[in-house]
Formats: sequence, structure tokens, C-alpha cells
Amino acid sequence: MRWFFLILAIASITVALALGPRGEKFSSPPFMLFPDMDNQFKVKAQKPSEFFENGQGARVPVEGTVPMGYAAPGENGLASSRLDFSRGADYFNTGLFGDFYGKGFPEELKMDEAFLARGKERYQITCTPCHGTSGNGAGIVSKYWAIPPTANLLDPRVKAMPEGQIFWTITHGKGLMGPYNGVLSVSDRWAITAYLRGLQAASGN
Amino acid sequence: MGNIFPRWTNLLAIKILVGLGALGTCVVAVAWYSWTPKYTRVGYMPQQPIPFDHSLHAGQLGMDCRYCHSQVENSPHSNIPAAQVCWNCHGPGKVKSDSPKLEPLRQAMDPNYENYTGKPIEWVQLHKVPDYAHFSHQAHVNRGVSCVECHGRIDEMPVVYHAKPLSMSWCLECHRDPGKVLRPLDQITNLAWTADDLDPEAFYAYVAGKTKAPVEELKKADEGKKWDRELIGAHLQKAWGVHPPQDCAACHH
Repeated sequence: MRWFFLILAIASITVALALGPRGEKFSSPPFMLFPDMDNQFKVKAQKPSEFFENGQGARVPVEGTVPMGYAAPGENGLASSRLDFSRGADYFNTGLFGDFYGKGFPEELKMDEAFLARGKERYQITCTPCHGTSGNGAGIVSKYWAIPPTANLLDPRVKAMPEGQIFWTITHGKGLMGPYNGVLSVSDRWAITAYLRGLQAASGN
Repeated sequence: MGNIFPRWTNLLAIKILVGLGALGTCVVAVAWYSWTPKYTRVGYMPQQPIPFDHSLHAGQLGMDCRYCHSQVENSPHSNIPAAQVCWNCHGPGKVKSDSPKLEPLRQAMDPNYENYTGKPIEWVQLHKVPDYAHFSHQAHVNRGVSCVECHGRIDEMPVVYHAKPLSMSWCLECHRDPGKVLRPLDQITNLAWTADDLDPEAFYAYVAGKTKAPVEELKKADEGKKWDRELIGAHLQKAWGVHPPQDCAACHH
């Protein structure tokens, strides 16, 4: 009996030491004794899929087709992929009238306090790292890295830009700035444009 | 006829029972301690294709979670950013664009790069609920539950690890008592937020506007109570009418 308890104690301590305490860092995938139906063979957001040739679960529309809920790409010279996350080729979706930047805000928008508040929130999330909270181009990035200067949005040059051009720049990027059409929805881009107009007015330049 | 069973067998049955009991206790103790997500999931810290440092981006630089996880408010799935989002800052001629750590990003994004593949970066998923449980990010972040409640202090993690168990009983802890985790909607992505960061005057005015109860009455009812998460959460739960479901079909639909 004594031997049995001795062996049991040694075995228990060995197992306990081998398993270690809760919360220890490890890099191999979590152990699952009974996976049940935890991992089902179905297409999940942003996950790979063995079913499709390129291994991606997410599909792009077949060439020449338009997903439900999307308008057909317009005829103003923009490639259809540039219209991702939008519904059409009108001013609201492109910032353009024909080949020209439009002035003023599209009539689809309801310009109220909530819209500006939304613009402020989105501006502070997406634009401040480079352009700074006030829009002066001195965001946190410029404090750490000597990359070519970011545009000062309070500059008379930007102030003189029509709204459509600012919308277009957020959508497609310009110079070193990348496109934000995949991150910001169409109306959020207009909201940021509106908030930027407020920042410019407040700066008094 | 002599004794068939020698003397030492007298206690054998009891010894076997005691031995089995001890063995069983040990097995149960080990299973109780380690056969739970608190052990099997918490601490999971996989190597990512790019050693992305959340403590640098979200902590030191103060970037909002939603700069990258841009659809968390609009979708059940909180998106991993497309490589384009990384490329916005780490493209050619920009921040640290030559870093060898960004090799997978260049492979995915730079058509002029010799090893260009154009394939997405294969990030490793850490936080996962079983496929038969449907968790919605938008339902939580739009109702005052911060990222930190489930993911921990991501802004302090150089390498992200699994901080909370994400087990069903753990989900139910909050679904039974949501007040303790609710916070004002503009502080959802402020992982360091505490009750002291909130101005009581402005907060009571907000609650009064939502519940149509006079500010004085609210303050009087709270007299002598400690200004903490529980108090704020209780007010918000009432003001927003937060009633998290506890039935099976809420998540296993």
C-alpha cells in the first residue's frame, strides 16, 4: 500500500509538472480531446477553404457579373474594382461629375450634428495617425519616422479643393497615401470630408 | 482444511477501494484543473507570419483598434485587415518599408518585388468560438462591451496571446450580469479606461436624458455608493435596456 501511494504521488507530481499551471504561454494550437463539431467544413469569414482552387474561402464576383445590391459599374472611366464598397457611379459614390470633381455635398446625405459627429469619430480613428488630430499633418507617425511630409489639411490648397476631390482622395489615395475605400464606407468618407471642412473653418487659415 | 486466503488478504478489498479512490481523486483533480479552456486556451500565443506588435501600434502610437479592424461595428466577424491596410503605412518609401519582418507583406502587395505572389498573408487565428456557437462582434461593441472584456489588454501585448477562456460558462457570467462590463460607447476601444476617467456630472446628464429621470433623483439614489464600474454599468444597462439572452438559441441558433 505504501508503495502504491508513493508511486501515485510521484506520478501525480510528474503529470502536474508536465502540464504546468494555467495561463502559461504556448504556441502550438490548443489541445482538444473531443473536437465535437468545433471545426465544421464550411466557408467562414476570411478563412481558407480547400474546396476552391486558390484556397481562399472568400470569392470575388465572376467577371462580367455584379453582386446583388450593387449597381453596374458606370461609364466614367473608373475600373469596377475601384467602386468596391459602393453602390454606383453617381456623384455620391465617386465624388465626380463626369471627369470633374464635384463641389458641395451630395443630396443623398443628411447634414446634421450626428453626421458631423460620425465624421469626427471616423476622422480620429482613420486619419489622425498621419494627419494629426487638428489636421495639420503632424500626426504621431511624423514624430517617429522621417517619411516625406504628410499633407497639412488646413492649408489653403486643401481648403480650396472641392468636396468631391477630398472624397476622391480618401477613396483612391494620393501620392504616398493609400486608398481607404476598403476601410471607410461611402457615407463615412463624406462624413470625414464634412468634419474636415469644420476643422478648416475652425483653424481660420 | 487450512485457510484458503492468507492473513494479508483480510484488508485487500478495503485497500483496493482506497487505492482506486485515491487514483480517481488524482485523475479528477488533473482533469478539473487542465481540461478546461482556462488551461487549454488561455496563454495560446502562436507565431504570426509577421510579428505584428500590438503594444507598439495600439499602445505606443495610440492607434484606434478600428483603424485596422474596421468592420467590427458592422459585422459579426471582426475583420483581420487586408494587406492593403498594412501597405498604407508600410508601402515603399514609408514607415519601415525595408524591414525584413515585412517580407510576407511585400510578397502579398508589391508587384515589383521578386518574390511577389499576390496571395493574402496567412495570419493565425487565436480567438475562436466553436463553429456551432455564433458570436457577433457588432452586437457587443455597439452595446457598450469593450474589446478588452474578451481580448484583454491587447495594447500591452507585443505578441498577442489568448487572455480569457472564451468558454460557455465564461460567456454566461456576463450574460447573467452584464452591468459589470458595460461602459460608455465612446470608450469601447479605449482599453485602459476606468471609472475614474468618466465625469460623473456628464454621465448623470446622459443617463437622465436616456431614462427621463431627473438628475437630482439619480444622484440621490446613488448617494454613498462607490463610483465604480458596477455603478456605471448598472445605469447604462437600465438606460439602454440591455437584456442579454441566456437561452440556448441565442448563440446556438
